[in-house]
Amino acid sequence: MGNIVILAGGFGSGKSEIALNLALEKAKNCGKVILADLDIVNPFLASRELRKELEEEGVRLVAPVGELAFGDVPNIPAEMMGLVSQDNEMYIDLTGDEVGALVIGYLSRHIKRAEYEMYLVINPYRPFAVDLESILELKNTIEGTGKIKFTGIISNPNLVEETTLDLIINGHRRVVGYAESLDLSVKYLTVEKRFYDQLLCQYGNILKKIELFLRPEWLQGS
Amino acid sequence: MEKVLMKGNEALAEGAVIAGCRGFFGYPITPSSEIAEYMARKLPTIGGVFVQAESELAAINMVYGGASTGTRVMTASSGPGLSLKQEGISFIAEAELPCLIVNVSRGGPGLGGIQPAQSDYFQATRGGGHGDYHTMVLAPSGAQEMMDFAIKGFELADRYRIPVMIMAEGTLGNIMEPVIPREPVSDFFEKPWAITGCKDRAPNVVNTLHLSAEFLEERNRHLFKKYARIIESEQRAETFLTDDADIIVVAFGIMARIAKKSVMEARKKGVKAGLFRPISLWPFPDKKMQEVARTAKRFLSVEISMGQMIQDIRLAVEGKAPVELYGRIGITPNPEEITRQLLLIAEREGY
Repeated sequence: MGNIVILAGGFGSGKSEIALNLALEKAKNCGKVILADLDIVNPFLASRELRKELEEEGVRLVAPVGELAFGDVPNIPAEMMGLVSQDNEMYIDLTGDEVGALVIGYLSRHIKRAEYEMYLVINPYRPFAVDLESILELKNTIEGTGKIKFTGIISNPNLVEETTLDLIINGHRRVVGYAESLDLSVKYLTVEKRFYDQLLCQYGNILKKIELFLRPEWLQGS
Repeated sequence: MEKVLMKGNEALAEGAVIAGCRGFFGYPITPSSEIAEYMARKLPTIGGVFVQAESELAAINMVYGGASTGTRVMTASSGPGLSLKQEGISFIAEAELPCLIVNVSRGGPGLGGIQPAQSDYFQATRGGGHGDYHTMVLAPSGAQEMMDFAIKGFELADRYRIPVMIMAEGTLGNIMEPVIPREPVSDFFEKPWAITGCKDRAPNVVNTLHLSAEFLEERNRHLFKKYARIIESEQRAETFLTDDADIIVVAFGIMARIAKKSVMEARKKGVKAGLFRPISLWPFPDKKMQEVARTAKRFLSVEISMGQMIQDIRLAVEGKAPVELYGRIGITPNPEEITRQLLLIAEREGY
């Protein structure tokens, strides 16, 4: 039986980077994995930039190809419909907000037959994720448009290069609060490699190491 | 205030809100659309107006109307949309209406692509539409500056009664960086010229049709007196390691940030490189450039275009040093290739 993991959430909450990391980790452990980059709004900083690297690591990338790879049109690769109905290990990276959830709404009747997880990715330092009210609105609109329910939360508290240990701990505490109010469990706490060891004791069971693949190098440390 | 992680486009929109902008009129286009989306979400909750117009032409004329009332208003678009707005911008310049116009630019000509580019430099700095006029142009290089320049832009617009343009580009609009939100602006300019209802006073008229040749010339002279004051007091630039530099890289916006890395890298390899970053594209910071041209041996203009700003650099240095170009379109040069170019020039010229 295949297993589908869907990453949804606000714009810029970290879905693409997390999807890349999860897919690569799965490929290392279990072989064949599919990563679907379904960003239908704009392709700036999307996984399709890494097609070659992903395929070398055993991840099949499903994303717009050719000229359309850098188009801002709602383009869903035709093979998606078949792939979600088959037994595939698959990660689906959606565009942010309810706009991105439209795609999953279209695919949802096929997805429900397979085992699925849908995670709400939250970075509490993003402008529209700073209080429970906004998170609740986001969750409801995504579930309404996507016609599919969230099964868990991924806590991704960061300010990219300016992230600190305290900032992760305080941000995560906020996400745990949201999770309790939404009656969802926190599946992962995602942190950059440099923080992993220091947080392992405290959050060992949910901690995930994340490498940033899409962030331009010239931004890092500038 | 606690830092927030924002896309450049979001930071700019929030900056406008902080500056008291209460009217946004636009038509969406990648890579600028997050600005409209942010305003659509935010403005109705704070007593503002958001209109997605039926076209760019309509949007810019709504800006004309909104600004006429003295309200801080704006629009945002990308190259093709800005081209459509030029008629309105010319009208706004002549009517001396303060407003903010944002170009999150992409590659042209024609529909081009949605990849980042800086090839709307001429359009932004030469007026862009018909007639003798200028817009002030500020070029931010990061998310914090997207916010801060939106705030500054509204202030300059009101101070000089001029349309101010923010010239960003696709990558800058889309990358996320931590931003410190600023305190809301509370100090606003008096606008005795605004159309606010003329009870107990003579009516104010905002009009750009001047059929009398004498009056038309007088209007042009008036505008150019204002432009002279702006050229005198509003040139902005940043320099980095230019004092002893043989080669000075000139780059604006995000390109300046990338070039800074190359300058540091070239220095490590023994090449005396420096960086000159124009922050105001109009007025071009020629006074500061003339200062560095006294000692620099050569300039390298790095642009995401086939070479537009290079003309302003040449005008500013007045032949005191050669000016070369490193330009690409749609593809943002990375630090390594600029470093390579610097090393190549240094070797060729024996610096």
